[in-house]
Amino acid sequence: MNTPLLDVRDLVVRYGAVTAVDQVSFSLHSGETLALNGPSGCGKSSTAHAVLQLRRPDSGEVRFEGRELTTLTERELRPLRPRMQPVFQDPYGSLSPRHRIRDAVAEPLKVQGRWSREGGPDRVAELLDRVGLDPAYGDRLPHELSGGQCQRAGIARALASDPRLLVLDEPVSALDPSVRAGVLNLLADLQDDLGLGYLFICHDRAVVRHFADRVLEMRGGRIIT
Amino acid sequence: MRLRVQGLPTAAGVTRVLSLLAVVAAVGLLPWLSGRDPALTVLRARSAEQEPTKEALDAVRSDLGLDAGPLDLLGSWAADLLHGDLGTSWVSGTDVLPSVVSGLQVSLALMGAAFALALLLAAALVAPVLVRGRRSAGAFAAMLAAVPEFLLATVALLVCGVWLGWLPTSGWQGPAYMVLPALALGVPAGGLLGRLVADALPAVLDERWVELWRGAGVSRARISAAALKRVLPQLVPQFGMAAVGLTGGAVAVETVFAVPGIGRTALGAAKSQDLPLLQGAVLALLLLGLVMGAVAAFTRRRLLGPALRDASLALPAARPVRTHPAIPLTLLTVLAVAIGWGLLRDPYTVNTAARLAAPSFSHPLGTDGLGRDVIARLGHGAAPTVGTAAAVCALSLLVALILGFLPGVAAGAADIANALPPVIVGILVAAAAGPGTGGAALAVALISWPPLAAHAAALVQEVRASAFLTAQRAIGASPSWILTRHVLPSVAAPVARHALLRLPGIALALASLGFLGLGAQPPAPEWGLLLDESRAYVERAPWAALAPAVALALLAGLAVSGAAYAQGRRVPRTGGAGSTGSTGKKKEALVEV
Repeated sequence: MNTPLLDVRDLVVRYGAVTAVDQVSFSLHSGETLALNGPSGCGKSSTAHAVLQLRRPDSGEVRFEGRELTTLTERELRPLRPRMQPVFQDPYGSLSPRHRIRDAVAEPLKVQGRWSREGGPDRVAELLDRVGLDPAYGDRLPHELSGGQCQRAGIARALASDPRLLVLDEPVSALDPSVRAGVLNLLADLQDDLGLGYLFICHDRAVVRHFADRVLEMRGGRIIT
Repeated sequence: MRLRVQGLPTAAGVTRVLSLLAVVAAVGLLPWLSGRDPALTVLRARSAEQEPTKEALDAVRSDLGLDAGPLDLLGSWAADLLHGDLGTSWVSGTDVLPSVVSGLQVSLALMGAAFALALLLAAALVAPVLVRGRRSAGAFAAMLAAVPEFLLATVALLVCGVWLGWLPTSGWQGPAYMVLPALALGVPAGGLLGRLVADALPAVLDERWVELWRGAGVSRARISAAALKRVLPQLVPQFGMAAVGLTGGAVAVETVFAVPGIGRTALGAAKSQDLPLLQGAVLALLLLGLVMGAVAAFTRRRLLGPALRDASLALPAARPVRTHPAIPLTLLTVLAVAIGWGLLRDPYTVNTAARLAAPSFSHPLGTDGLGRDVIARLGHGAAPTVGTAAAVCALSLLVALILGFLPGVAAGAADIANALPPVIVGILVAAAAGPGTGGAALAVALISWPPLAAHAAALVQEVRASAFLTAQRAIGASPSWILTRHVLPSVAAPVARHALLRLPGIALALASLGFLGLGAQPPAPEWGLLLDESRAYVERAPWAALAPAVALALLAGLAVSGAAYAQGRRVPRTGGAGSTGSTGKKKEALVEV
């Protein structure tokens, strides 16, 4: 068996005296969806942030594409960050209220030095089209879109970084049941086409039952299954 | 939120102590800071006929201990201070302590009377809200709160003292002498207290429990008492700030009514360069401010009780008083027309034949004591006042933006800055650098940043906590990219708007320093100075005093109505986003006006 895309060993995250994530271990391969399921406060979002190194874990290993992340400095980590992207729960909160959708999707290209005057706008239009948004929506501000459209824009922004892993932090919990299926189908299509690995954070087992390849149950900071 | 409450006291506490020490050290170092030779002052005061020869000056200098370095000076001053020795007045040669104590007694009596009056006025402003229910009396109260003490004192002197002749206007010989000063000092404070409570009450009276109690047949009086009890603890810190404001207002009021209080002592000492007396008086004023702040903090703890100290029971967001845009626009137009008209005329030509002329076709607002055209002086005085105020605004905006990223450091320094009224800082700066526009601007800038910094800190915290900023880190953006593309743009624009709203208030603070002779110097046509100059002729030529007084009142009105209009506009917009916590925080920052 080849090396896993993501390999987490004995991850610990503490907030003061509280241990939010306690000795969590799992691994995930490309093209695979692993769900972390549990009630609120069980440490699943802390796990997601620690995997993304957005909050440095207190101990344990996070090995991504064979490379250990926890020992890297912030500067060493920055070029690797695009390879693993988050999608957040709150579709509006994850986009800057002051920037147009097009600028939000273009920003990773600019930050990562892949923007050009000719190719840039086309790439943004292509990404918006890829997530099922009419590129005309690029001119709008987040509050002018519906929750589902915003979440698609958030996914387009994540794809702009050409990631291998998406950490989906309850990506459909804040959406209407009617648009949930659409977003989940989009994610499934993207995974088939691009071979992405998904770490899917969720508190509703019914949502992930059909979507995930494996489901890990978390309670009180520990994985119990 | 709770993390912030637990984490900050150390940083805030350290800066609070450091800022306080810095202020006290500045007071102690005044003789060294004031570049001019104090020995000259002393020599002139002690023996007017003696020539300022080098030997005579050296003798005075070693007599005062000025030949030692600044650190020795500070050390010996602090050591004497601990023994209760405030030094000897350079001018009169008497001990400073007795003058400070007697001044303090007079000022405390005056402030006590003013505070009682303020409470009465606040009760009168709040009563209609409790009796009639929802409607807020905030607009009228805000108007009263914006009128600066020196303006009110001058108008009260003019109307009650001079025209009607009801009350004595100068001195301190009995209860009758206390009425006008207490009125001038108490009305703005009462307006502020009344406004704070009246603004907060309607939202509290809309809370569920009021309906429940009413349905259960609880009397209106008991509901009112409970609502007040719900509102007051959160407002006590701002009550404390109003009390601190009294110490600054006392300087102006005591000067106008010739009350021998500590404020007038401090101002007189600053003007005559009698630094030991000034040190003693300013120290007493600082102490007064700190004690009032401590009393406010203690009262709040007692009112809240142990369970609620962490402010877990926040007040509902106050519903701001909406103002029709026509009101600030009208005030602005009237001011702009008067200023524009005046700018076309000559403010400096002295015409002794036309001294104190009544308003006429050739002089629409009359002439002053030197026969200069009043409207021309008003117009020409506006440009430098507004320009200086704009510079002060820009400076405090810059400080606020920097400190917004260091909320721990800012909180401690802000506590000290809040405890210092502009007049007292103005006295200190004027004593160190000499009176002037630059010094006055520096003094106002030193203390006008805290509300802006609080606003900036709230916004920075809000932006930093947002998911889109986390997404920025995830795409590999550098801290400088995040700061310049996302954090600063979200913070700078709203804080800059807030700073603009404070422009009229800052102009008033500058005018109050000008009025006391601590700002622009004659013959500059600065508005505060105009009002001060015209006081001497108030009986013969009331119009000369009335014109700057009305102009300043219009400015105060503009400050209040402009702020109310902008606040009323802001609320529905941010409220729509559904983040009630953040709008509440923003409003808290705004309430600290």
